[in-house]
Amino acid sequence: MSSSISPFLELGPRTKANSLAVLHLSRDNLMPVYLQQTSGEHDGYSEGVVVNTRYGSFPHSTMLNVPWGSQIRASKVDTGSRGRKRKRVPGDEADRDNESGADTTTTNPAAAALNANGVKEAVAASSGFIHVLPPTPEIWTTSLPHRTQVVYTPDYSYILHRIRARPGAVVIEAGAGSGSFSHASARAVYNGYPQPDDADKKKKRGRVISFEYHEQRFHKMKQELADHCLDQIVHLTHRDVYKDGFLIEGSRSPEAEAVFLDLPAPWEALPHLSRRKPEGYTGLSEAAGQRKEGEGEWTSPLNPRKSVYICSFSPCIEQVTKTVSAMRRLGWVDIDMVEIANRKYHTVRDRVGLNMPVDRGVNNSARDDGIDGEGVGGGKKGGAVETSAHPWMDGRLVTRGEPEIKTHTSYLVFAILPREWTKEDEEATAKKYPIGEEKQVVGNLDKAARKKERQEQMKKLGNRKTRRKERDEKMAETEG
Amino acid sequence: MHSIIRASAWVAIKLPSGNTRVIQALPNTTISLGKYGSFPANLIIERPFHLTYELQDKRADETYSRLRVVPTSELYAEVFADEESPTCSTPAAGLNEAVITPAEGEEFSVVEIESGKVVARSNREVIDENARQTMTQDEIEVLKKLGNNAGKEVITQLILSHTAIDQKTSFSLAKYKLLKEKKYMRRFQVLPVDVANFSNYQLEERDATKILDMRGEMMGLVGCWGNVHFGGEDVYLDDPQATTEQGHEACTPVQEDLLKGRWLVVDDTGGILVAAMAERMGVLQQDDDAEIDEAKTEEDTEEPEHTSTQAANTAQNGEHKPTTADSNDADIDMLDADAESTASAAQESTATKPPRASKPRASDFAIPYSQTNTITVVHGASQPNLSFLNYWGFDVTSPTHPPHPLLHHLLTLTWLQLLKPELDTSYSTPPLVASERTLVAWKPSRRGNFHRKRRRYARIRHIVDSARAGNFSGLVCASTMDPVSILRHTLPLLAGGAPVAIYSPTLEPLAALSDCFSVSRRTAWTSGSVKEIVDKSVEELESWEGNEEFPLNPTLLLGTSIQTSRARRWQVLPGRTHPLMTERGGANGYVFTAWRAKPAEGRVEAKGKFKRKRTEVEGEGEGDGGVVVGEEGSGGDASASATAETTPAAAEAEA
Repeated sequence: MSSSISPFLELGPRTKANSLAVLHLSRDNLMPVYLQQTSGEHDGYSEGVVVNTRYGSFPHSTMLNVPWGSQIRASKVDTGSRGRKRKRVPGDEADRDNESGADTTTTNPAAAALNANGVKEAVAASSGFIHVLPPTPEIWTTSLPHRTQVVYTPDYSYILHRIRARPGAVVIEAGAGSGSFSHASARAVYNGYPQPDDADKKKKRGRVISFEYHEQRFHKMKQELADHCLDQIVHLTHRDVYKDGFLIEGSRSPEAEAVFLDLPAPWEALPHLSRRKPEGYTGLSEAAGQRKEGEGEWTSPLNPRKSVYICSFSPCIEQVTKTVSAMRRLGWVDIDMVEIANRKYHTVRDRVGLNMPVDRGVNNSARDDGIDGEGVGGGKKGGAVETSAHPWMDGRLVTRGEPEIKTHTSYLVFAILPREWTKEDEEATAKKYPIGEEKQVVGNLDKAARKKERQEQMKKLGNRKTRRKERDEKMAETEG
Repeated sequence: MHSIIRASAWVAIKLPSGNTRVIQALPNTTISLGKYGSFPANLIIERPFHLTYELQDKRADETYSRLRVVPTSELYAEVFADEESPTCSTPAAGLNEAVITPAEGEEFSVVEIESGKVVARSNREVIDENARQTMTQDEIEVLKKLGNNAGKEVITQLILSHTAIDQKTSFSLAKYKLLKEKKYMRRFQVLPVDVANFSNYQLEERDATKILDMRGEMMGLVGCWGNVHFGGEDVYLDDPQATTEQGHEACTPVQEDLLKGRWLVVDDTGGILVAAMAERMGVLQQDDDAEIDEAKTEEDTEEPEHTSTQAANTAQNGEHKPTTADSNDADIDMLDADAESTASAAQESTATKPPRASKPRASDFAIPYSQTNTITVVHGASQPNLSFLNYWGFDVTSPTHPPHPLLHHLLTLTWLQLLKPELDTSYSTPPLVASERTLVAWKPSRRGNFHRKRRRYARIRHIVDSARAGNFSGLVCASTMDPVSILRHTLPLLAGGAPVAIYSPTLEPLAALSDCFSVSRRTAWTSGSVKEIVDKSVEELESWEGNEEFPLNPTLLLGTSIQTSRARRWQVLPGRTHPLMTERGGANGYVFTAWRAKPAEGRVEAKGKFKRKRTEVEGEGEGDGGVVVGEEGSGGDASASATAETTPAAAEAEA
C-alpha cells in the first residue's frame, strides 16, 4: 500500500481495492472507507465486506472499480441471520444492527450465485443509494476521526494561501492533531514523490515536517499517513517542540519556508524558529537553553535563503498577545492577526405569504381563491392542502444561514521572518550593482519630469501620420 | 518563490502610509516614492524581501539617498517600551512575569504621561488638533527639505510644538504619533509580487471590480474546494516529425489516457484566478534553483531568449520538451505586421546561428503542451483576458516569449471552439502544405507565416480535442457569466468525483444555481415524473440541454453548498488589542462547491419509510442524499416543506 501514490494527490479514474474512498451518505454525513477486495465470506456476510448504513447495505464489491462519484444502489444483504435470533426482512435494516451482531457467525445457507472470488454477487435492493467520492483534504476534514480540535477548511485554506505553501515548499507543522492540516498542506506542497536522483537534478520536493507530542495520537496519525500513502510527503516526528525544537533526523535542518503552529504555547516554540541562536531572549525555556549549549553549533530549521512565513493558530486572545510579543522580540515583521468568519447558506423556496398553500393545513391568505382553482393538482384529502404539480418551481428563492454557525474557531497570527542579510552579502551585491549611474526614474514623477518624458516619447515616435506611413511601408514589404 | 529581489522583476513597495506601489526594479534606474523621496533601484536589487529600509539623508557629495536597514528592535521600540511600562496589562512574553503585576481594575484606565498617574480623560477636553499645532506649514516644509533623520526630526518637532500634548491621553498621543509617522516617516518595505500580495493591492488600492472583488479568503476557498494542486510530472507527446508536405493526417491525436491533472477554468478576473491556480500547481514561476542557473547563463552570453528555453528545460529535468521558438504566438493573428516580421526574423536568427543548442528544431506539429498539470481556460472573447499574468512575466499575446512554465501548461480556447469547433475556421481549415523546394523559394517572412499557421493549427487541434475529451480533474470559475449556462456545457466534461468551485461576488447567481440541484428537483428527476427524460439513457442525460423547469440535470452534482468567508483583522498592541474599526466593504464574495456525481442507470429510489403509498408521485419528498421520506406527502410530513429542505435526520424523525 505504501509504495503507491496517494489518492489525495493523484487520483485514478476508478475506485481501487485497498484504497481510501469516502461514502457520501447525505449532506454533511460522510463515511471514510478502505475498500477491500475479499475472497469468500467476511464477518458473516456472504457478499464479502459490507458497509451498513441507514440507507441500506453496501457490499464493497459493488463499490470497487467504478468511476469516482458513482451512485451506488443498496444491495439486498442478509444482515439478520448472522447470529441474530430474529430473522429480519432484508431491506428493513435501516437501523442499529451493523456491528452489534458480529459475535457469532452462521453461514448463509442460501446457495446464491458465487463469483470467482467465492463471494456472493450482490443483488440490488429496491431502494437506497449512496455515492462514492474520492478523498480530498476537504472531504477528509469533514469525515475524519476526531482526535483533537480540527482545523477546518475555511481556516486552513486561508492559512495555506497566506503562508505561501506552494509546490516544492517545506512546511513545518507543530501539533499534527487530527491531521486535517497535514493533509491539506501535503496537497499544497506536493510536487511529486521523492526520487533517488533528486539530489543530482537539484529538484526540491515539497514536504511537510510534522510534529506531535501526544504519543497515542502520533501512532494513530502515523498509521493514517501510511494508509493514505502520504508518509513520504509528511514527515511525522513524536516530539515536544518546546523543548527539543524542529530539527529532523538528528540535527539536520528541514530548511522550512513556512511554519504552522497549532500549540497551546507557541511562544515557547518560537525561539527555535530563529535564524541564529536567540541571544538574551528570556523566554527560551531552561531545558532548551541547556540542550543548545551542549550541542555547540546551533542549526536553524529555517531555509536560510528565503523569507519564512508563519501562522500561529490559537483560540484565546491571551495566547495571541503573548505570541505576538514574542514574535516582535524575535525579529518577525508584518505581524497580522485575523480571525476567519465562515458562513454557509442554504437555498430554499420560501412559500409563505405568496398566496400559496402553506403547510400544516393553515392558509395565510384571507381567501384561498387559488387553492381550489385550476393549476392545483387534485387528490385533496381531509383538509390537507395541496401543492402545485411542480413544487420545485413554487415560491420565492431565498437563502438562509445554516442553523448553527461557528462563531469562533481560533485567532490566526501571521508573520514573516526576512532572510538574514550580512555585511558581506551587502558588500558583494553592492559591487555587482554599483549606484550612481541612474538614467531613468520609475514610480512617482513630479510634474516637470513627467512632461519631459512625454515630450521625449513623442519625439521618438513622431506624429501619428508618419507612424502610420511607416507601418504601411513595412506591411507592403512583408506582403510582397 | 523568489529568495531575493531579482533585477527587472516586479516588486511591491509598501509605504508608511499603508499604500503599495507595484513597480519594476530595473537596474540603473531611480525609484521615486513621491513625497517620501527617491533612491537608486540598484540598492534593493538582489537584496532580500520584507526588510524595512529607511531613506537616509543625501550625503554632501552625492545626489541620491542611500538606504539603511531598520532593525526590528527599532521598529518595535515603542511597543517594547509600552510592554515594559509597569501599567501595561499585557506584559511581554518571555519577560519575568512576577515583576509585572498590573494593579487590579487599572487595566483600562488611562495614564498621564509624565507622572504615570491614572487620570481618565474625557473627550470633552480635546479640541481641534490643528489649532493647537504651533508649527506652521512653512516651518514643516523647511524641516522636510533638510530631510533630517528620515523624517523622525519632523515628527519630534511636531509633537514638541503641540501645545496640548500634555493634555492628550496616551491613546490619543499614540494615534497622533502614528498619524504623523504615516505622513513623514521615510521608510518602506519591499514585498514580492505574488498572488496574495498582488490581489490585495488590486483589491484595496486599484480597481477591485476588475478582479471581481475576490479577496484572499475566497482565493483560498476556491483553490481548496477546487482541489487545485500539482497534477503530476510533465508528460509530452512525441514530435510527429511531420514534413511540410504533410497535412492534418500527420497531427498527433489526443491520447486520453495520458491526460491527467487538468483543471478547467472560466476566468473573468483578468488572470488573477489563473495566476492563483498556477501558483498552486507550481507553474506560475520557475523554481528558484532553475532561476539561478538561468541567471548565470544569461550573464555569460547574450543569447536570444528562446535558445535558453531549451537549455533551461534540459537542465531542469532532462525531459523531452518540444519547445519551439515561438511556442506561444497564442493563436492570434498578429495584425501588426511589425511584430510578425520580428518574430520570423528571430526564427531565422536561430536557424542561421551556429548550433549551440544541438537539438534539432521541433516540427510544426509538435505539441508544446504538457499532458498533465495543465489549466484549460475557456473564454468568451476571441482572446483570453489574462493581462495580470504580465506581473509574473507571462504575456499571452506575445509571439516570441522568453521561457516560462505557463507556456507548457496554459491552454486557452473559446466557447465556440469548445462547443462547435467545426464552425471555427482556425480549427476546421486544414493546414497549409508546401514542398521543401517551394518553401526555399519563398521570402523568409512568408515562410515564417507558413510555419506559424501550421503550428497554430496543430496547437488548436490539440487544445480543442483534449478539452472535448473531458475527464477534467476539476472546474474553477470566477465569471460574470451565468453559472447555470457555464455548468450546462462544462459538467459533462468533468471526471466523476471532480470538484466544482464557483466564485461569485454576489449571492444571487449562486442561489439560482444551487436551486437547480434542490432536493425536490432531484427527487422529481429520479422518480421518473419528468416526461421529457423518461426514455433517455444516462449518457444522454449527462449532456441534458436543459429546459425551463430543469435548467441542469440535477443529479450531476452532489453535496452542493454555498459559503463565504471573511477575515476580520485585529490590532494587537500591549493593552490596546481590538478588531480594526473599519475594513473594506463592497461585494462579499461567495463560493459554490459541489462534486460531480455519476448517476446510476435507471430509476433510483431513495430509502425511506412509506406509511402510505400514493398513486401519483409528485416528488414532494424531503431529505437529502440517501434519505427521502419519499412519496407519502401526507399533511404531517409535508410540513417540512415549508423550508423545502430538511436534514435527513429531521426527515427521519418526522417519519
